[in-house]
Amino acid sequence: MPEQWTVTLRIYRQKTNEPSRYDTFTLEVNPDEYILDAIERVWAFHDRSLCFRHACHHSTCGACGMRVNGVEKLTCITTIRSVARPNAVLTIEPLRNFPIISDLVVDMGELYRKMEAVEARAVLPITEAEIEKPPHQWKTEDSQYVRLSDCLECGLCISACPVAATSQPYLGPAPLAAAQDHRLDRRPDLLTLIDSEHGVWRCHSAFECTAVCPSFVDPGRRIMDLRKQTISAKIRHFFGK
Amino acid sequence: MNNQPAPQRLLSWFNPLGRNPGSWAFILNRLTGLGLTMYLFLHLMVLGRLAQGPEAYEEFLALTKSPLIKLGELLVIGAVIYHGLNGLRVVLTSFGLGVRRQVQMFYLSVLLALVGTAIFAFRMFAG
Amino acid sequence: MNSPSSEHFNYPTGRRAGENAWLWLVKMITGPLLVLILTLHLIVNHYMGSAHSGLMTYNDIVAYFRNPLIPLIEIIFVATVVTHSLLGVRGIILDMNPSQKVLTWVNAVLLLIGCSAVGYGIWLALVIASKST
Repeated sequence: MPEQWTVTLRIYRQKTNEPSRYDTFTLEVNPDEYILDAIERVWAFHDRSLCFRHACHHSTCGACGMRVNGVEKLTCITTIRSVARPNAVLTIEPLRNFPIISDLVVDMGELYRKMEAVEARAVLPITEAEIEKPPHQWKTEDSQYVRLSDCLECGLCISACPVAATSQPYLGPAPLAAAQDHRLDRRPDLLTLIDSEHGVWRCHSAFECTAVCPSFVDPGRRIMDLRKQTISAKIRHFFGK
Repeated sequence: MNNQPAPQRLLSWFNPLGRNPGSWAFILNRLTGLGLTMYLFLHLMVLGRLAQGPEAYEEFLALTKSPLIKLGELLVIGAVIYHGLNGLRVVLTSFGLGVRRQVQMFYLSVLLALVGTAIFAFRMFAG
Repeated sequence: MNSPSSEHFNYPTGRRAGENAWLWLVKMITGPLLVLILTLHLIVNHYMGSAHSGLMTYNDIVAYFRNPLIPLIEIIFVATVVTHSLLGVRGIILDMNPSQKVLTWVNAVLLLIGCSAVGYGIWLALVIASKST
């Protein structure tokens, strides 16, 4: 017999041209279920008009990012136990810094455009990937092997970033991390965008992106590394190299 | 809820709810930075009394005996030490140094700022 | 050199002088420099003075400025601290994505404030130094 908890979901609701409100639903859950399971149960048994996004249920598609008690979570891999206690109220809200389409669904188009602007790679040659214990010397044939990029484009980092709240064109953590992944010495054409007022200098080291990233991208560290890459590229340019 | 990025949402910079120590560092850095900028210009204006001769300056110096002014001065000293040390943290991490230790460096900045302020407080009130 | 991708998506590449590596480096270099100067400043002004609680009196300051290096250090100090603080303020304004018009005004106003403050600082340092001789 699995453990049973009673929890209350307090869900943000907003339809086009209507004022927002919070609806509460009290349900019996197994604490080892995921937040997304509970939200799906609300939709299945309580309110069919609840809008939310999800697809893969295993942290690959990046569709189910929401805020749980104010903190960005990928709800398909966040257990109820990890964020609540028995009889707790869980506030579920859409991601910040994206326009709300309906309830928990936001328009992520801007993030995807920025990812395209830096030509973020979904897969990359294993020889260019950050992996644990890489061999001392890659063999030429190794470059045929590819690795999926860690970034799910879930938008949690954009939602958590303080600067993304006030500046719409700021590239933000995921696109800057994708640029760092390219390396400016391999892609010098990205320098203009990265070394702009909307690029790598808008970061103010709050490291929220790294704190909420569900996929080990560690955008904070990558942005810091991108600064190093940018400075060395600028110095090389200055000396005409 | 207007959820789109907008300049009017600047107060959300300072909201620490649910955020991690890196954000507290950012919030404190921004608040101390703004405060110190205001203090800097006030300080420069007040020092203009030096040009008016000894009486004008000593008159001002007498004001600094008031506990309220002393408290304000301590606030400035605490802000200076924090902003300076956290600034070093930002410089180091921006050059890729100690990124994985950034939280510890933040706590160290706060701790040293408190210790430094306490030393100056002792000097001002008890010394 | 414009990225074809950013042109294609019509992404603002910040060709206006909003922020760049050099401006940022100025902030990163003036910062640690200020940590050094301010440490000296706080110790000198709170521990070397003869007034109550160690503050410097008028005569202390005039005596302190007798060393010709001091006015020079104080002038460097005021220029550094004003530059750093106004670049910081400008950074905060940039975080709010100002329009070109607003940014032009911000640049002009900050430059004016900065130059006046540094000019005033130089004048004050020289006035005090002249009382020392």
